[in-house]
Amino acid sequence: MKKRIAGVAVAAALLTGCAPSTNAPATSGTDEKTGTLRVWLFDEPNRTPKEAVIKAAVEEFQAAHQGVTVDVQYIAVETRAERFKGAFNDPASAPDVVEFGNTDLAEYVNAGGLADIGADLDGWAEGADLAADLRASATVDGTAYGLPWWVGVRALHYRTDVFTELGLTPPATLAELTATAKTIRQRKPDLFGVAVGGKYTFGALPFVWANGGDITALNSAQSRAGVTAYTDLLKDDNCPPQQCADLTGGKTVELFAGGKAGMAILGNFNRAAVEAGTVKGKYAVVPLPGVTAGSIAPAFAGGNNLGVMKNTPRRTLAADFLKLLGSKNYQLKMFDAMGNLPTLTSARTELAAKDATLKPFLDTIAAGTKFVPVDPGWGAIDSQAVIPTMLQNVATGRSTVDAATDEAAAAVSAALKK
Amino acid sequence: MTTIDAGPAVKGRARTLTPLWLLLPAAAVLLPLFVYPIYQLGLLSVLDFRQAQVSGGQPTRFIGLDNYTDLMSAPRFWSVLWATVLFAAALVLVTLAVGAALAVLLTKVSRWAAYTLSLAAMAAWAAPAMTGSTVWMFLFDTNLGLVNRVLGWEGHNWTYERLDAFALVGAVVVWHSFPFVMVTLYAGIKALPEQVLEAAQLDGANPWQSFWRVTVPMLRPIIAIVVIQSIIWDFKIFTQIYVMTNGGGIAGQNLTLNVYAYQQAFASSEYGLGSAIGVVMMLILLAVTLVYLRLLRRSGEPL
Amino acid sequence: MIRRLVPNTIALIVALVVAFPIYWMVLSALKPAGEIQSASPVPWTLAPSLESFQRVLQVNGFGRYFMNSLIVALAVVVLSGLVAFLAAVALTRFRFRFRTTLLVLFLIAQMVPIEALTIPLFFLVRDLGALNTLFSLILVHFAFTLPLAVWMLRGFVAAIPDEIEEAAQLDGASRWQILWRILFPLVAPGLAATGVFSFITAWNDFLFARTFIISATENQTLPMALLVFFKPDENDWGGIMAASVLMTVPVLIFFLFVQRRLVSGLAGAVKD
Repeated sequence: MKKRIAGVAVAAALLTGCAPSTNAPATSGTDEKTGTLRVWLFDEPNRTPKEAVIKAAVEEFQAAHQGVTVDVQYIAVETRAERFKGAFNDPASAPDVVEFGNTDLAEYVNAGGLADIGADLDGWAEGADLAADLRASATVDGTAYGLPWWVGVRALHYRTDVFTELGLTPPATLAELTATAKTIRQRKPDLFGVAVGGKYTFGALPFVWANGGDITALNSAQSRAGVTAYTDLLKDDNCPPQQCADLTGGKTVELFAGGKAGMAILGNFNRAAVEAGTVKGKYAVVPLPGVTAGSIAPAFAGGNNLGVMKNTPRRTLAADFLKLLGSKNYQLKMFDAMGNLPTLTSARTELAAKDATLKPFLDTIAAGTKFVPVDPGWGAIDSQAVIPTMLQNVATGRSTVDAATDEAAAAVSAALKK
Repeated sequence: MTTIDAGPAVKGRARTLTPLWLLLPAAAVLLPLFVYPIYQLGLLSVLDFRQAQVSGGQPTRFIGLDNYTDLMSAPRFWSVLWATVLFAAALVLVTLAVGAALAVLLTKVSRWAAYTLSLAAMAAWAAPAMTGSTVWMFLFDTNLGLVNRVLGWEGHNWTYERLDAFALVGAVVVWHSFPFVMVTLYAGIKALPEQVLEAAQLDGANPWQSFWRVTVPMLRPIIAIVVIQSIIWDFKIFTQIYVMTNGGGIAGQNLTLNVYAYQQAFASSEYGLGSAIGVVMMLILLAVTLVYLRLLRRSGEPL
Repeated sequence: MIRRLVPNTIALIVALVVAFPIYWMVLSALKPAGEIQSASPVPWTLAPSLESFQRVLQVNGFGRYFMNSLIVALAVVVLSGLVAFLAAVALTRFRFRFRTTLLVLFLIAQMVPIEALTIPLFFLVRDLGALNTLFSLILVHFAFTLPLAVWMLRGFVAAIPDEIEEAAQLDGASRWQILWRILFPLVAPGLAATGVFSFITAWNDFLFARTFIISATENQTLPMALLVFFKPDENDWGGIMAASVLMTVPVLIFFLFVQRRLVSGLAGAVKD
């Protein structure tokens, strides 16, 4: 028996010797000052205004840097995991500058894909203007891996014309939200009461949090109450599963913007898309209510960072471009274009003073926000679509709330353990 | 094989231009790019190989059959496996039935009709999987699709129900693959000596009987190739599922092994687990085709 | 003629159904923007426009992706044709040990789900430093199209009578000359048929292009580019259909060109 075990061990050692190399080939440590700077930014619903701002930034950058071309690629949010994995696995093929969601930070750092940009932020004139808590949000174990580019929270958008016509008032609790949504659908059958989606994780999580649940305990009684409340909206009397079970958050933006829904849970960063739609001038925003009247459901503290890839052969150029996009000038432009809330304190106070539309979002932030588990395992939970699968299974009636939440909770704890 | 007999000419030739030299280029390509990756696939499937190993410089660890036991204990894997097998089997059967029926039809129609049908089939055959998928998606689009407009089913989502979604993807696959079956079988039927069929007719066999008792047995080698090719192609459907059901459908209901393996590996960084799925897939495919070849051999067909 | 009325009608209806998606694709690509969204779609257009094609080619750079796809596919056709020709000659014109074993291996190789090899190949190509390049795609498709090409060409080589070679030999031709001047031209029709299959494999590939071309937009091939076209907000169906037409046309032309050989190629692979 012992011999056999030894034999297996030897065989195993021999075998692993032939495995693919574990160290991703590093690119030469050069710092080229010319050539193509590859940039990955996220694709968004109604991307055009974002593209226009970026184009201006690219032109400004190219004018200031002779012999440099900036190649911007817009990455689909849903399949970003595959793209980023590819980039981490082969640094030579990776882009130089990336936009990434704050939820992905832990995983990307763990994969060793991002460069330390602490020194760049320290030496940057506008760096001091960056709120300390925000800078900390892009820092892991004392190393800064990202420049927080904008923050976003979601709030309840509703159609003022529809509410006036039907004599409705904005809901004060989540239960009222459901009732109001059903009334709208009943009185105006060609509208969804509130646009929700089976793939809209960050639309569903406030329901879970407001009920006292959390991602790490999806099968607790509180979480189940939240999941039940959200999936009750994915019914024929509000948003039929046939049409809504497969919707992403981006699709609910379209529905609301296109005048097909009475309400929707959208972010400040969706403003451009909504304003470009037919509902312009016919909607208002309030914080998403909580369980009790007067409370606000905890929102997900969303936001995106800009980062530099670890093995970029154009380190200086990458950092320069990152600082250009992160500058007050461009943060304000991005706010005007998309509604992205700036991370630089001075820019934010300026805007809060003059732009009343920001109030419901700032109120939501002030009421306290929540975040996903800060753990590399979150990446797996996200890319395996654990929460959407749970919501879809309940919404389509393939599984009960209890069974679906048990399955999801098991997947979450397995992913966080690894 | 007429030219195989080692005549003097062949022997003489062998001295200067040996088969070894002729096979060398093929070997130079296939060994590193085909044989070696297969070996690596098997190897990865018994390793703990995730993102930390790929780019983080952590050592790989031999974990035996852990990936496989993980897989076997996941209910999702079994549901995907069954879906893949049943879906592929249905595709093979439907493709063969449609292709064979149309091949027989071709023998009964006028020249112009045969030409028209062949041309249409060629077009479907030539259409890349990607464009075929997009066109059919457009036709069956929930809101703008022609099919829903004509049926008056606006808002009907063809990928909502699991079976509907599989049926739609299946229709596209059959549309792509029946022409190969039809054209090949038609050529085979045309090459049959006419006297045989006439003799069957004289014996009083009706068309149905003569098809099953005469045509099918004589076409067996061609049918064999067609069946094997269909199994190989249909078991490995990737593009159509990935594109049409948006990466596996609602709650992953339309996943097939291929897409599942891809997502495990490249989205979740479970390269070892993804490789294990790949090995399972390869073994199933090999088993099915080898059993089929065996049966053929037993019934006396040369390979 | 009456006897054929029923089958003819069936054949015609089937042909219409089969060709309809292709027709609808071309039509939608030619329709002006307003008509695609129209509530009552009609199977014709009175105002065909090339606007969608222009947008796809100029704004979205599909010309570049088209050329990339073409380079990959043609390189694969040529490389795998040449190498398969040599192997096919070895396997049909010579008798040697393990010949049958090799034949069976070439058959089994076709059964390997190459998609499953994406994972190891990704690391292999990475370690070669070839990710992000068209070369990486040529390399893998070269390998994957080879077994079927050898298998198909075998029939064509076997069909050439030995006497032709013997006559050439008597005339003093060297083995090398016989191989390239006599056999090669005679097998050319078979190479064309084999080429179609190699072409399609490489041209259609979506999986490897998606996995290997990580950040180099300039090296994207058509299927990948087409997927990028599906924007999260409203799908530009006119543009998608125009891009699909561009992607289908070369294969269609290739097909019509060699369609007769296709059948004999497959039949040859079966019968010999």
